[in-house]
Amino acid sequence: MITLVPSWANRYADFWDSIHKRNMWLIKLRYGAVVMLCGFLVSSGYILRLTFSRTQIFALVFINIIILLYNLGFHWSWKFVKTETGKFNPMHFSLLQMIFDLAALFFIVYFTGSIETPLFMLFVFHMIIGSLILPGFVIFSLAGLVILIFNFLVLSEYANIIPHQTVTGLISIPLYMNIDFIIAYDVVFIFVIMISVFLANHIASQLYRIEQQLLESFEKLKAAETEKQKYVIGIVHEIKTPLTAVHSYLDVVLGKILGPVDKKIEERLSRAKVRSSEAIAMIDDVLRVSKLRLLDEISYDEINLSELIVPLIKKQSVNLRTKQIMLNLFDGRTVKKNIKGDKFLLEIAFSNLIGNAVKYVGAKGQIEVDIMDNDAEVSIEITDNGVGIPSGEFEKIFADFFRASNIKDKSYEGTGLGLSIVKQIIERHGGSISVASPSKLGCEDRPGASFFIKIPYL
Amino acid sequence: MTKIAIIDDDPDILDASGLVLMSKGYDVVTAANPEDGYKIVKEHSPDLIILDVMMNEPDDGFFLAQKFRREKITTPIIMYTSVSKSFGMDYGVNELVPVDEFVEKPISPEQLIKKVERLLKKKETK
Repeated sequence: MITLVPSWANRYADFWDSIHKRNMWLIKLRYGAVVMLCGFLVSSGYILRLTFSRTQIFALVFINIIILLYNLGFHWSWKFVKTETGKFNPMHFSLLQMIFDLAALFFIVYFTGSIETPLFMLFVFHMIIGSLILPGFVIFSLAGLVILIFNFLVLSEYANIIPHQTVTGLISIPLYMNIDFIIAYDVVFIFVIMISVFLANHIASQLYRIEQQLLESFEKLKAAETEKQKYVIGIVHEIKTPLTAVHSYLDVVLGKILGPVDKKIEERLSRAKVRSSEAIAMIDDVLRVSKLRLLDEISYDEINLSELIVPLIKKQSVNLRTKQIMLNLFDGRTVKKNIKGDKFLLEIAFSNLIGNAVKYVGAKGQIEVDIMDNDAEVSIEITDNGVGIPSGEFEKIFADFFRASNIKDKSYEGTGLGLSIVKQIIERHGGSISVASPSKLGCEDRPGASFFIKIPYL
Repeated sequence: MTKIAIIDDDPDILDASGLVLMSKGYDVVTAANPEDGYKIVKEHSPDLIILDVMMNEPDDGFFLAQKFRREKITTPIIMYTSVSKSFGMDYGVNELVPVDEFVEKPISPEQLIKKVERLLKKKETK
């Protein structure tokens, strides 16, 4: 069996997929052709005042039934055509359809007058469709075959070897005996077919090649991005190492392990420790984002969401007490299934969200964490009545290094990486995150914000 | 006297961690690379090992820990990690990772002492 695979089809999966889809497209188109042929037969007598002989009507109806039948056959067998090398594949399927169609068209052309029928132009149309699917050498061979058979038919009628089928009302003088007419029409026909096939095939393969190049460039970009992330991780890690040492010494001095420390010095060193902690936190954020982007696969643990979230809330208890924040957790789940996900990453995500709420809610604020679910997914809503988020920045807050305009100039510390990590983590779990502000807890001077997270049960 | 070995390629981390632990009365031995680390553990048979996961190469500390376990050295190990270059392994205490505790650098003196005390107690009760 000839392979029929063009040399440029190196991206097999995509290639076969598109050929397979085009096959179905041909099948659907053919149903349309059957309907059109029926319409032509019924209406031609009224609109065009054409008269078909009994033989012609019988033949055309018969051909139409045959087309319908073989199309049903194609439709039924379409799903069984698999892309296995060396076996009958979608390309062979296309070729088979093409051959059936061309055969049917030859009969239609013959019974409507061969060189006298306008229907022979449909060959051009078939050749163009074929050019979009079949490789060059196949479609050129088919085109040559069509031209040969057509000429054989026309010349046989001219030589009276095959009886001519005249459509009464179409042409007043028989043209099939007029050699000048035959030559003129035939030459143009051959010319049009060959040029159409050449152009269509050329453009189709060029388009495909451009698509290939795009895909390849995309892959190169992805590889470059991976390299970049590795580089970032390397550099940032190098920065973290000395900072960690600085931090450790500050701890030693502040822990008075080396002896008593003067009060004034202690205060400044404490500030120094706060600032170095900020730098380390920022570095860790960058490392986490880079790592998340670098490692495509995440692990899948069985996770009970409340068991994940409750400890994260407890971690905030000191902050909650000192800032007199009221935090309510409401677990309204009914299905209560475990979700499958990466525990480490989900902890990062939810501790970011809860940490943000605590950070931006302000003293005496209110935070509500609601967990709800249905059969398909679990949804978590984290609401506060803090500074809120300006409308128009809802999408941007999930971008790297973006910080909402109403917190930039205030004393809130942060890297602007938190929510971008959160979003990536949630999306890696097939979930979604969105935000609303003001929230249901908000009031005029404390609009608040709500984060809605949905994670599917798998 | 309880002896603790610290293996880390950063001399300042060795110094700082050593100071913290010595202030609590522990005897401290240090090494700045995996080879010396292996030697001091063999020589001093410490009660606890603090090991940095990343020294000359990512996962160096991890391989050293595996080596100890293969040689039936069951001394508890605390591993210093960082969200890091090390990709080879899952962080989490399981059978693949022959380590008793992971801590992310930097760790506060209080936390370090707490972890050390807990592991030593666990060792005693064994």
